[in-house]
Amino acid sequence: MNEGWLALIQQALGLLFSLDPDVWSIVSVSFSVSFAALAITLIPSMVLGFILAFGRFRGRWFITNMIQTLQSIPTVVIGLLVYLMLTRMGPLGDLRWLFTQKGMILGQMLICAPVLVSMSQAAFTSVDRRAWETSRTLGASWFRSIWTLCRELKVPLLLAIVAGFSRILTEIGCSMMVGGNIADVTRNIPTAIALETSKGDFAQAIALGLVLLILSLVLNFTLGTLRGKAEPRSH
Amino acid sequence: MVKVIAQNIEMRFGERRLFAAERVQLSQGQTIHLQGDNGSGKTTLMKMLAGLVAPSKGKITTQGFAPLPWWRSNSLLGKAVYLHQHPYLFDGTVEYNLRYPHPFCTMSKQLIEQRTHDAIEKAGLSHLTKQAASSLSGGERQRLAIARAWIMQPKLLMLDEPTSNMDTYSQELVLAMVKDLQQLGTGMLVSSHQSCALTGLCDQSWRIENQTISSSLNDESCATKTSPQTSLQEPRYVIAN
Repeated sequence: MNEGWLALIQQALGLLFSLDPDVWSIVSVSFSVSFAALAITLIPSMVLGFILAFGRFRGRWFITNMIQTLQSIPTVVIGLLVYLMLTRMGPLGDLRWLFTQKGMILGQMLICAPVLVSMSQAAFTSVDRRAWETSRTLGASWFRSIWTLCRELKVPLLLAIVAGFSRILTEIGCSMMVGGNIADVTRNIPTAIALETSKGDFAQAIALGLVLLILSLVLNFTLGTLRGKAEPRSH
Repeated sequence: MVKVIAQNIEMRFGERRLFAAERVQLSQGQTIHLQGDNGSGKTTLMKMLAGLVAPSKGKITTQGFAPLPWWRSNSLLGKAVYLHQHPYLFDGTVEYNLRYPHPFCTMSKQLIEQRTHDAIEKAGLSHLTKQAASSLSGGERQRLAIARAWIMQPKLLMLDEPTSNMDTYSQELVLAMVKDLQQLGTGMLVSSHQSCALTGLCDQSWRIENQTISSSLNDESCATKTSPQTSLQEPRYVIAN
């Protein structure tokens, strides 16, 4: 590593520890938008995952495959779709959400939901059927039994949440198209990294990259600890 | 008296018919030994009478259960308890598992605490209460599951092979808890391949054979009263179609 690199990292750390307003504004936009998108989609997605895992109805196979397809659609395509919906002539044009955080949240919801539904469906499908039967036969209500299942599946469900959150926090295509990368309004970490890198301001890009790296480390180590505590089940 | 009555039932898995019966009735105060070959449908019948599985045809009705609020349609759940052959224990300690049904019991808080304390003693789990349930041995798991049901004092209890793979000590503890529930009037349906002390408590036998369910009375033990001839000659109330 040469001196130029070291100087860049030093500058990046300086920006973070000196609480540089530009950097932390970007971090704040990124987290508030992504947390809002996750919070709105979390419960409906988990419920849909549960229904797809346990329900036996016409169209289940089709819905499952559609959700899996949506999972693999590039975020820029979802960005284009949301852009077309929010543009003046689009069906949601009257909302005037284009280039706002609300628009970004809508886009991130569409990116996050398929991940959450698909991974929670896989988690619920893998659950031991006796857990549900035991809970019900002991007198638990339907909702209490679902809560019990969620508790039993806390590690895979948390994994689903982390995967969904990671996807929206790091996506760039949709945020760039729908948000427009407006400073202090819709500029989030990925769009800022792209912009600063193109301008040659690597220090800020590295500082923002470090935030994502630290977050990723914290989330994965927390999950690793939880996974380590979970005892293997025996019959 | 609490009863669960299955009328004109038929159970199918796809094209395969498991069993059918015109009328099957399990009441409080009865202890019945359920017999049948592997795959004959013993577990399914028990789950059906516990309200966990719906029959392919026919209907399950109940009598004597307290009326339920509108959002609880199944009166059997929590009153007719089914215990799996390999019981499921929730992720947590032994104590967590014992306390799991507390919010769903209608008895007073003081009584339920007392019964929990007694259940721990009766199941020989005093030294394990803080231990993870997943670390228990097979016999301890079975004792914990029965203790959990014992606390609830259910009206009806379905025990699916309760003493399979259990040592004598565990069998004795389970037997004591089952006897206790029997004295309190819990109606029980016990599925077991072997004749044992537990099946010796049974006053009747049901046998699932050739996709039908037949019944017979027991004199001393279930083992001596389960021949098909006996069941046909001395039907009590279960008539197979």
